[in-house]
Amino acid sequence: MKNVLSSVEDAVKLVKDGDVMTTGGATFHRAPMEFLREVVRQGKKDLVLIDREPAIDFDLLIGAGCVDKVRAGLLAFELLGFAPNFRKKTEAGEVITKEGACQPIIAGFRAAAMGIPSLPVKGMLGSDLLDISEILGSQMQFEDPFTGEKLIAVRAIEPDVVVLHAQYADEYGNVRIEGPKYEDVIKAKAGKTVIVTAEEIISNDEFRKNPDATCIPHFLVDAVVLAPNGAYPCSCFNRYDTDYDHIRGYIDAVNSDTFDDYLNEHIHGRASV
Amino acid sequence: MSNQIETADLMIYAMSREITNHDTALHGVSSPLPVLAMSLALKTHAPDMAFISGAGGVDPDIERIYLSSFDPRQNSGASGYFGLHEVFDLAQRGELKVMFLGSAQIDKSGNTNLSFIGSKDNIKVQLPGGAASAFLMPITPQVVIWSTRHTPRTFVEEVDFVTGQGYNHRSEAQMENEMTIVSNLGVMNFKNSNRVMQIQSYHPGHSVDEIQEATGFDLLVADDVSETPVPTDETVAMIKAMDPDGIRMSEFGK
Repeated sequence: MKNVLSSVEDAVKLVKDGDVMTTGGATFHRAPMEFLREVVRQGKKDLVLIDREPAIDFDLLIGAGCVDKVRAGLLAFELLGFAPNFRKKTEAGEVITKEGACQPIIAGFRAAAMGIPSLPVKGMLGSDLLDISEILGSQMQFEDPFTGEKLIAVRAIEPDVVVLHAQYADEYGNVRIEGPKYEDVIKAKAGKTVIVTAEEIISNDEFRKNPDATCIPHFLVDAVVLAPNGAYPCSCFNRYDTDYDHIRGYIDAVNSDTFDDYLNEHIHGRASV
Repeated sequence: MSNQIETADLMIYAMSREITNHDTALHGVSSPLPVLAMSLALKTHAPDMAFISGAGGVDPDIERIYLSSFDPRQNSGASGYFGLHEVFDLAQRGELKVMFLGSAQIDKSGNTNLSFIGSKDNIKVQLPGGAASAFLMPITPQVVIWSTRHTPRTFVEEVDFVTGQGYNHRSEAQMENEMTIVSNLGVMNFKNSNRVMQIQSYHPGHSVDEIQEATGFDLLVADDVSETPVPTDETVAMIKAMDPDGIRMSEFGK
C-alpha cells in the first residue's frame, strides 16, 4: 500500500483545466466542499461537471467561473429554489448545459466502473432529452440483440477526476462512509483520478479491525486529504447537518450581485484546512 | 370545517391514497408533499408498503421533514439503505410501483416539462431538470405528478419540451401505466380510452368549471367525478406532527 496522504492544495493540483469532474454526495449532503473551495482558490478553468443531482457544489464552481459545461439530471437547491449561479450563467449563455436524466448518468458511471463502453437502460424513449443526447453522442437507441426490445445505450462516463468526502479514511486511501453512500462507490471505480477528503484520518489497523465497514479499498484512491467540516455547508451524516441559513445567504449574495463578496469572505479570505 | 384544511394537506391525503398496501414507492428530490404522503400511507392504510426514500433509507419513521428531501435525518428509523441506482434496477424490473414526480408544465397527454421554457435555441427560463422523469414516467405502473400552481401557464395544450413522456410519447405496452395529477385545485387522471387528461375530483371549495378555467386546454370529466375526500382531523394532525415548521407550504409560496 502506498501512502497517498496529501494537502488539499496538492490534491487540487491533480485537477487540470478542462477536466471532466464529478463529486460525491447528493444535493446538500456530503459534497466535498472544502476541496471545491480550493479549486476556486486555484482558479481552475473550463471544467466539465457531471452528476445526477448536484447542488451548491456545482453552483459554487459555476459562480466562480471554473466551469464550461454541466451535465446533470437536476441542478437545483431543493426547496430553497433554483441553483442561482447555474440559472444566471446558463440563461446568459456563459455555461453550456447538457441536461441528462438521473438513470443514464448513473448508468454511464456504472459502465465506466465495469470497463465497458456503454450500458443499456429502459425508459428515456419518447423524451426530447433523448434527441439532445443523441446529438451529443451520450445516448443512442438500439435493439437488444436477444429480445429485440428497444432500449437506450448510455455511453460510459469516465471522469478525469472524482472527488468524494467521507467520514473516515486512512493514509493509504481506504474509505469508510457512514449513512447513505449515493453513487460514491461506483464513482470511485469509474474515475481516472480519485480524491477522497475525510473528516478524520484513522489508522490502517482500525480499518483491518472492521473490514466490513470499508466501502472503497485503497487501490482505487489516488489522494487522501484530511478535511474536518469538509462538506460544510452541506451535511456530513453523524457529524453535522446542512447549514440551510448559510445556503440562504449564498443565494441572496448571487441574487443581489454580491457573489464576489461571498467568495472573498468564505473562500479567498479563508485559508484551507 | 373543510375551509380550515390547508390545500397542502388535502393534496398530501389525495397523494397518499394513490399508494395501495404492498406497493413499493419512491420519492425524489424537493419532495415534501410526496414524503408526507408516503409516510401517511405507511402509517395508515398501507402498513405493508415499502417506502424507499430518495435520501436512501428504507421504511424510515419520518419524525419531521427538512428543506432538503435528501436530508439524512429523514432516514431516521430506517431498516436499511437502498441506493438510487438499486431502486432504478428495481424500476427496470417493473417492481417499483409508485413514483412521485414534479412538473413545471404538463399537457393534455400527460407530458411534463422540467427542462426549460422557450425553445432549444432561445431559452427563456432554465428549469432545474427532470431528474428521473424521462426514465421513470413511461415504465412505472403508477406515476403521481403534483402541482401546487394549477394555471393555464402550467397546464398547457402542449409542453415546450417533453422531459417526461405522456401517453402520446409512449410504446404500446407503456400505455397501460397510470398517471395521476394532484394539483391545488383537484385530482386529474387519464382513465379514458384516448388517454387524455380528465377531472376525477375537485377539492372542497373548488369546482369542475374552475379547474377547466385554470387549464389551457379542454379537459374531460370523469363520469364519477366528485369532491376530493377530506382528511380527518386525526390525519391532519399526523401530517402536522411530521412538519411542525410548515415546510410543506413552501411550494405554495407567493
